[in-house]
Amino acid sequence: MTRRTIITLALWLGALAACAAVIVHTRFSADLSAFLPAAPDARQRALIEQLKSGVAARTLLIGIRGGDAAQRAAASRALADRMRAEAAFEQVLNGDFAAYAAVGRWVVEHRYQISPAVSTERFSADGLREAIDDTLSLLGTPAAASVKPLLERDPTGEVQRIAEGALSGGGPRTRDGVWVSRDGQRALLMALSRAAGADLDAQAHALQTIRDAFAAQATPGLVLELSGAPKFAVDSREQIRSETKTLAITGTIMMGGLLLVTFASLRALAAAVLPVASGIVAGVATVSLVFGGVHGMTLGFGTTLIGEAVDYAIYYLIQARGGAAGGPHADEPGWRRWLHEGWPTVRLGVLTSVCGFLALAFSGFPGLAQLGVFSVAGLIAAALTTRFVLPLALPNGTPGVGLRRHLGHWADRLVQVTPRARHWFTALGIAAALVLLWRHDRLWESELSSLSPLSAEALALDAELRAQLLSGDERTLVAVMGPDLEAVLQRVEAVSARLDALVQQGRLSGYEAITRWLPSQATQQRRRAALPDAATLRANLAAATAGGSLSAKRLEPFIDDVQHARAAAPISAATLAQTPVAPITAALLVQGSDGQATALLPLVQPAGADGDALHAALEQALRDIDGAHVLSVGDELRRLYRHYLGEAQGQALFGALGVVLLMGCWLRSLPRLLAVCKPLLLAVLLTMAGFALAGVALGILHLVGLLLVVAVGSNYSLFMDWLRHQQSTDEDTLASLLLANITIVLSFGLIALSHIPALSAIGRVVAPGALLALLTSAAYASASARPRAAPMVKVPSERA
Amino acid sequence: MRADRRRVSLWVGAWIVGAASPAHAAFGFDDLMRTLAQRRSGEAKFVEQRFVAVLDQTLTYTGTLSYTAPDKLARHTLTPRPESFVVEGNQLTLQRGQRVRRLALDSVPELAAMVEAMRGTMSGDGSALQRYFKPTVQGAASRWTLTLVPLDFRLLGVVRLLRIDGHQSDVRVVELQLADGDRSVLTIDPISSKTRP
Repeated sequence: MTRRTIITLALWLGALAACAAVIVHTRFSADLSAFLPAAPDARQRALIEQLKSGVAARTLLIGIRGGDAAQRAAASRALADRMRAEAAFEQVLNGDFAAYAAVGRWVVEHRYQISPAVSTERFSADGLREAIDDTLSLLGTPAAASVKPLLERDPTGEVQRIAEGALSGGGPRTRDGVWVSRDGQRALLMALSRAAGADLDAQAHALQTIRDAFAAQATPGLVLELSGAPKFAVDSREQIRSETKTLAITGTIMMGGLLLVTFASLRALAAAVLPVASGIVAGVATVSLVFGGVHGMTLGFGTTLIGEAVDYAIYYLIQARGGAAGGPHADEPGWRRWLHEGWPTVRLGVLTSVCGFLALAFSGFPGLAQLGVFSVAGLIAAALTTRFVLPLALPNGTPGVGLRRHLGHWADRLVQVTPRARHWFTALGIAAALVLLWRHDRLWESELSSLSPLSAEALALDAELRAQLLSGDERTLVAVMGPDLEAVLQRVEAVSARLDALVQQGRLSGYEAITRWLPSQATQQRRRAALPDAATLRANLAAATAGGSLSAKRLEPFIDDVQHARAAAPISAATLAQTPVAPITAALLVQGSDGQATALLPLVQPAGADGDALHAALEQALRDIDGAHVLSVGDELRRLYRHYLGEAQGQALFGALGVVLLMGCWLRSLPRLLAVCKPLLLAVLLTMAGFALAGVALGILHLVGLLLVVAVGSNYSLFMDWLRHQQSTDEDTLASLLLANITIVLSFGLIALSHIPALSAIGRVVAPGALLALLTSAAYASASARPRAAPMVKVPSERA
Repeated sequence: MRADRRRVSLWVGAWIVGAASPAHAAFGFDDLMRTLAQRRSGEAKFVEQRFVAVLDQTLTYTGTLSYTAPDKLARHTLTPRPESFVVEGNQLTLQRGQRVRRLALDSVPELAAMVEAMRGTMSGDGSALQRYFKPTVQGAASRWTLTLVPLDFRLLGVVRLLRIDGHQSDVRVVELQLADGDRSVLTIDPISSKTRP
């Protein structure tokens, strides 16, 4: 071993060890946050924040089906009881109002601070008379059951008023004391897990707790249904884990088999694995260092890297074969000759790929940025391993023959045959461009869901449970921001006044607001000031009840409570957090990561309402309130997605431009540059046109796939150009191209079969795209050579 | 405990009353429902008196009631203060002064039962009544009494029974007896009504 060898090996092993050390401490996540972009403006930030870490990320929807109604109700109660005993849940709701007793007591105690009716007029003689009449009008009806016990303490019905506001809109159907679906066939529950949405281990534990609790009490025939963001996150992590494993194992076996058959050498096979493994290890470690964690999807993508990284090994193993070709470096050892001949092209290929993926690294989608960084680091590591480590292991490439000779034959045939179809390719390319022009408006996907790793069935169940539980459209809400909490609360009160008007008009069924529980200090102050002292109140009450059916002397408890309220400490966000009301308000006031408070007002729309008209009415009603924004979650996400699709398209174009510039610098010849670019352009056009004709809209991940096609295809096209330039028909180089292409088509074909939509999208683009890139590169291989009339392709049998 | 025992005895009582009524009576529940189902729409004035133990006086309300087949029922109180209660299908709209509230009826089952007691009787929807109540009919088509006892124990804790008196397809008096002894009597004076041809 030379000193150089030792140093190389030491550096390589040291780098691998360092990467391994990083990976050991890496946090792997699989929540949906990687698919949510870092939002550009304040209101989108509020939305994303809410989706990422808000209550939505912790809410589990539970359904119980099968059996009869009584069994389902009993199961719902038993399940809720068990869940409430678990520390994993902050709140478990199943429509059983017994669970709200503590909230009820809090409301009674704080009614003069939170009732919207409290005003100076209300405590005048006239106001009191009217309020008392209102309350008395409930007596003698079934509603009296809730009024009577409090009649002497709360004759003005403040508790009723508060309840009226809080019980707005639809609400789930209740039967046998628990929530059921509108058709009555399903008992419904909703739970808020205590752990953060991103803490997937805790979420998985919470889900298991529910399953165990259900199994422990379930009557045979009852079926548990679970949905909600935590369930999706846990499931997709599981799916990504298992699929990544399956893909990695199947891919490895397939590649291994292929390489073994081709090279007929175990040693060659082992050597081919080195760059791939080094690339993946380096990619994961780099992403971990840059982003502080690795998303499961990035790992899934790692399997796709096998496809390109193994090419480097193949190029080396075949092209460095000893004494293969003539030329100026014929007498040198294989690896040294390869450094002069094959490596510059591979290096350029690596640089172009890096250039393409570097563009992605700047994406606003954390998931895409991770893919970009992963690919850049992985490809560089794989290339460096090929360049420095493989020559140590196999200085003369692979010794085995195997199928290689046949590959050479086939590759030669390919180069001979395809140029005859060159005009066809050109024609197809023009046709493809026309197809793309014709379908340009339907070419791109506009739904964020195309990035979601969830199955359509899971989404359908979720939509169903959500519609039943959260009544109406929880996807429209008003977000209110402000410089400080008090400002936010005052603005929410202003917004509430406008929303009340819409409720009166019937355009809204109801809404929720933090200020129902935590009024601004100004409002609390105003209400406190409206409460009269005992003497005044007693006098007003006497006047108000004169000749009425409820005598004033029975209302001393009311006077006491009002005096008590006059002295009560104001409700603050801090004190509220210690009360039974806290779980209800958690969803309505969120503390952003920047420490700024945002209030969210979910709206309940009347059944069959026109969402767009409502949105417009809301915008109109709230236009002059600072910091108030109307959000339609679906629209907003679509807008964001379009923004990022546009950004990704720009980045892809930028990346492609970088690739072209790089090749231009290397080739230093416009005709050669054009010759190299033409096949790539054709491959991309044909692939896109194929998707357009199949009616599949292209999403961001298809775009990533196209970038990969350009990255991989540039290798083919550069090698073809190099051969042409050398006036050479090195059969080994052709064989290596063909083999590299087969491996890529196979490995991405495998990925195309994945059940994870994001992965299969990449696979479905790259597999056909790479094949097309090879065919078109071969087709145009002899373009610039023709005028010189040199025989581009020698008869292969001479050298076999 | 006492309330529970009372509830149980009510249950048993209701059951005995139900069981005791002969199945081959000349005018039964199904006959009554058929008679009532003739009605397409109707409008009436009402006077409601509530007898509430904790109050010194009887409360009196007047206003109009209207029913439109199949499922719209409206009660507009005019005195002492305007108030309205309109239910159509599963949607309940309450208005008092300037305040309007809308509720899904099936989200408050006790309320749904009370609405069904009126609406089911107006429309002759026997299955709706039987979903929430144990019905008993006494008398003849010319003068009948329908007694409704809640089936759900939660509602039974609030409402002891409803007694509805009528004449042919007209509902004349609705008496509501609450579990705590309070009661209300709604006297209906038809203005107009339309029946099926």
